[in-house]
Amino acid sequence: MNYIIIEGLAFALPLFIIAIGGIFSERSGVTNLALEGFQGFGAFAGAAAVMAISGGNLAGIETPMFITAMVFALLGGMVFSMLHALLCIPFKANQVISGVVINILATALTAFLTSQFNTVLFGKPTNKFVLGICEKFTVPFISEVPVLGAFFTDVYYYQPIIIAAALVASYVLYKSRFGLRLRACGDNPHAVDAAGISVSKLRFIAVMISGALSGLGGMCFAYSISASFSPTIYSGYGFLAIAALIFGNWKIGPTLLACLLFGFARSGGYKLAQVLGLTSAFADIIMILPYVLTLLLLMFFSSTNRAPRALGEIYDKGKR
Amino acid sequence: MNDYIVEMRHITKRFPGIVANDDVSISIKKGEIYAILGENGAGKSTLMSMLFGMYEPDEGEIFIRGKRESISSPAYAAKLNIGMVHQHFKLVQNYTITENIILGMEPKSRFLGFLPSVDVKGTNKKIAELSKRYGLEVDPKKKIEEIGVSTQQRVEILKMLYREAEILIFDEPTAVLTPQEIEFLLEIIRELRNSGKTIILITHKLEEIKKVADRCAILCRGKLVDVLDVKTTSTKTMANLMVGREINFRTEKTEANFGEKVLSVSGLDVRNDDGVSVVKDVSFDIKAGEIFAVAGVSGNGQEELADAIAGLIKSSGSISLKGADISEMTVRERSEMGISYIPQDRQEVGLVLDFSLGENLALKDYYKEPFCKNGILHHKAFLIHGQKLIDEYDIRSGQGAKTQVRSMSGGNQQKAIVAREIISDSALMIFVQPTRGLDIGAIENIHRQILSERDKGKAILLISLELEEIISLADTIGVMYSGEMQTIAAAGSLTSNQVGEFMMGVRSV
Amino acid sequence: MKKPKNALKNPFRRGFIAILGNEKYQGFTIPLFAIILSLLAASLLLLSLGKNPLIAFRSLLQGSGLLPKASYAAKKNILTDFMSMLNILTPMIFAALAVAVALKAGLFNIGISGQMLVPGFIASITVGYSKLPAAAALPLVLIIGIMGGAAVGSLIGWLKHRFNINEVVSSIMLNYIFSYIISYFINTNYIDAVSRQSRYISANTRLTLANIELFGLKMDIPLGFILAVPAAFLVKFLMDKTRVGYELKVVGLNKKAAQYAGINVGKNIVMAMAISGALAGLAGVTYYLGNFNSIQPRVLSSLGFDSIAVCLLGNSHPIGILFSSLLITVISKGSNYMSSTINVPQEISQLITGLILLFSACGAYIKHRVSLAKDEIRDEKLRLKQENEEGDRV
Repeated sequence: MNYIIIEGLAFALPLFIIAIGGIFSERSGVTNLALEGFQGFGAFAGAAAVMAISGGNLAGIETPMFITAMVFALLGGMVFSMLHALLCIPFKANQVISGVVINILATALTAFLTSQFNTVLFGKPTNKFVLGICEKFTVPFISEVPVLGAFFTDVYYYQPIIIAAALVASYVLYKSRFGLRLRACGDNPHAVDAAGISVSKLRFIAVMISGALSGLGGMCFAYSISASFSPTIYSGYGFLAIAALIFGNWKIGPTLLACLLFGFARSGGYKLAQVLGLTSAFADIIMILPYVLTLLLLMFFSSTNRAPRALGEIYDKGKR
Repeated sequence: MNDYIVEMRHITKRFPGIVANDDVSISIKKGEIYAILGENGAGKSTLMSMLFGMYEPDEGEIFIRGKRESISSPAYAAKLNIGMVHQHFKLVQNYTITENIILGMEPKSRFLGFLPSVDVKGTNKKIAELSKRYGLEVDPKKKIEEIGVSTQQRVEILKMLYREAEILIFDEPTAVLTPQEIEFLLEIIRELRNSGKTIILITHKLEEIKKVADRCAILCRGKLVDVLDVKTTSTKTMANLMVGREINFRTEKTEANFGEKVLSVSGLDVRNDDGVSVVKDVSFDIKAGEIFAVAGVSGNGQEELADAIAGLIKSSGSISLKGADISEMTVRERSEMGISYIPQDRQEVGLVLDFSLGENLALKDYYKEPFCKNGILHHKAFLIHGQKLIDEYDIRSGQGAKTQVRSMSGGNQQKAIVAREIISDSALMIFVQPTRGLDIGAIENIHRQILSERDKGKAILLISLELEEIISLADTIGVMYSGEMQTIAAAGSLTSNQVGEFMMGVRSV
Repeated sequence: MKKPKNALKNPFRRGFIAILGNEKYQGFTIPLFAIILSLLAASLLLLSLGKNPLIAFRSLLQGSGLLPKASYAAKKNILTDFMSMLNILTPMIFAALAVAVALKAGLFNIGISGQMLVPGFIASITVGYSKLPAAAALPLVLIIGIMGGAAVGSLIGWLKHRFNINEVVSSIMLNYIFSYIISYFINTNYIDAVSRQSRYISANTRLTLANIELFGLKMDIPLGFILAVPAAFLVKFLMDKTRVGYELKVVGLNKKAAQYAGINVGKNIVMAMAISGALAGLAGVTYYLGNFNSIQPRVLSSLGFDSIAVCLLGNSHPIGILFSSLLITVISKGSNYMSSTINVPQEISQLITGLILLFSACGAYIKHRVSLAKDEIRDEKLRLKQENEEGDRV
């Protein structure tokens, strides 16, 4: 049980922060299939910064380097997301297509830059930055409470960071003036424009926030599941996050539940395979659990789902 | 210094292909109700959009309170205390009334004691007070999607008042209201003027101008024709100036000659996607040669009634056409049985804008010969059929049947739909808002066609929000309110005020 | 008042706008312009690495058999390279056509890779591991490709129609589900102990004749390519000239109008996804039983996403797709040779592809700017004419 909770959370939370990024963008009216590319590029930026600063030798400076990585992932994701914003907002490109293109570009660009970086830094054109796994902590006493304690055991350093970021994001989206305007943009941008607020600017910022949060999420995956930055970072976390946010009806709270469902279904599946003593091949069958679950649940809930009204619409002032 | 609060001098605005405003100059005094009269497409809305900062003029200058201003955005217009109620309301559907009103000028409070946040709770009270002061009562906590059109309009007015606007622009504010609601709105407008505001009223309805306005500028095809003192000018003069020619108000209508029963609807119920009942137990018959007109405020179930008869939405109850039960039939089966349908939203429903005119004119017959044989389309047939309708119904398009419909004017788009639906020679024709957004010439044309179809012995279901249209065309009038048919009566037996009372549900038989 | 711009002054700009502004040809002039822009950007990138872009581009063409190389290994020449380029091109064309058909019906088929994998796997284990002669096996493989792809496609269409599940989400979920399930079966039943992939299929059942001796040369002959080009024309015919195509387009352009015209929207959504899936299935069999001869467990082909971009680059037009597929394939096929001749990392070719896609995505914007400039020139001409007339009167 503890295993399921610990591993489930470790997977669910990075997914959650990427999904929140998606919520910001989509609630402002910009479809965002580019989350996959954002999280990958963010992870690259963080990992590259660590490599450049540490020179590849992480021993003894893991934690400061981890913090560095997080900061640079945030910035990297944000800068890269400006490309999507640029394409979708002033250039009026189809948002879905832009997302796909950004993802392809992210894969190509990070692969190219990684090998360039490695050549310059270490003289070897490999496609990987080895980072290791982020440190963990266990809260004394509370962790000994049955079941509940698991939430406080072997916590990756990034988990509290994500929770804090999620709280700030919820406050911004639901309580602040910026959030009120942002959500209005996704429903009726004309109303926002008539109120004298620039729709373009608002959406641009919203996409940048989604890039920053996705970058953070990608970095966490690099620091846990893969213990490195490599092309395997593009294994669909961004798309899973999109499924989670659609499932969560574009709201932060329900999206957290969707992410936890993914996380626990995944870790639960692994545990099940372990307990039943199944071979690694069987793990594949268990791995479909979160996806099948999502599809089934979507069958029941999709008809009541409401996407933001103006989602995907290119805002044109002249048109009414 | 002069006493004009707004002056627009020699304004010219071009859009690709047309000159929307051509050297227009107007001056508006503080505290007057200034009407801008013109047909659809005369350039009224464009002119006011420039005052509100939505567009910038290509040529000309704008002076506000005697100072030259370049109004580059609605935000700047708001700073100059200019507010506008747009024809299409600009409201966020899933926000409350308060949230909509404060959007862009949010009052602050502290969340958890230190984080700056939007003060919705405190503002609810303020909005309630504001609405009471101007007699525009609303429940600030209600969401826009839960309230009716006239309340939404109040929200738009409150939005301006909250922003302390001094110059209030109303763009066609009465288009969607009942006669009683119009009276009420005009009263509000008068009161606003009395409290020192300057009002600009964009409209094409002469009686309204006659009732409230002090002066009136008349635009015709982008040019300023005249500025008149309303008290000393007759509506007839204004109308002629607006259209640029003599017009007669009466539509020539011959005596009705009813035949057999064509459509019979009984106990019809429709629920919308959320399971809310929108049409409740509606029953009526239409005979051949009869125009059955349904009056009602927008959103009272009339559109759903039409959709249900055409088969576009599910309904329960019985619908029969020429004696045959059609309630289980698909849209196509019904149309083949003899239903033509001119839908309310021509661009969204009636046409495929990216298709050519020829393809659109065969939208309901494309699968039949000569258009299609064994699954293969014959483009020539589309062109020939298209050209025939273009000639017969005088549809103006740049490149004949090959013209992309998107590039055609609204009037010609509507002509194309009407032509397509008339030519199918159906026993029942449903017209929903057939003249919305058209200019007077086009309206006359459509009205003539509706009457001529009636005289040919078609049964006609006309649904309109324009009471005038209903009164002038109907043989029988039905009034819907909140999904129920309030009354069904012969056209002559109801005055327009009585119809209005039924429309608001305040009168019952 | 705006300052009158002198839009007529620059004859170069006027000519340029006149070419790009011709709406009849915008279908290819604008993508072409985007490609030229992106090649310029790629040149800058190459220059910054100290490489000559012209040599780089030439080596791309050489590597893909469009230009002769300086020297060839035994039994190889330009035809060998060209044929192996066609081998990669074939599934790309099918996949991009699949995206285009769905797009016409307003659907975004992001599940191409899943729709490739399922029939690819089924055809491999049924026909691929059989001892059927080629004459029986190859048609069977194609049929399985069409049916299998269509089945997965229509499942996605049905989920959208029946449960209102966004096709993007359901295809992503189904991609994972199929990928893991098939990986399980490969790992348990069909694994090759050395390659860690599924066992190779028999040469008889492969849609590419591999390492065939012809004219004294050794080469791969992609039989599927014979079908790929006609498939593009068939799709064009289907969309332009048939009732099915007309209905799909109405559904794609305006669902409400489709319903109003009596067209069954749900049926058409499923139909569009079935056709799209069938094409993706053909991509799948020409990929897994042509281009390759085994399946890597847990790996979804990147073709799934690349084809979306290729489709966009070809303006979702079947014939345009033939050209855009060629372009992208040439870049990826030639990248090997380029990286060896001028010593740049191979990833750079992906980056060039990325740039091309990026600029193509701006096509709508380029079009918008061009039409603005066109209006400006027209207004200016009008103004000059008026001034001249007034001048004459005076």
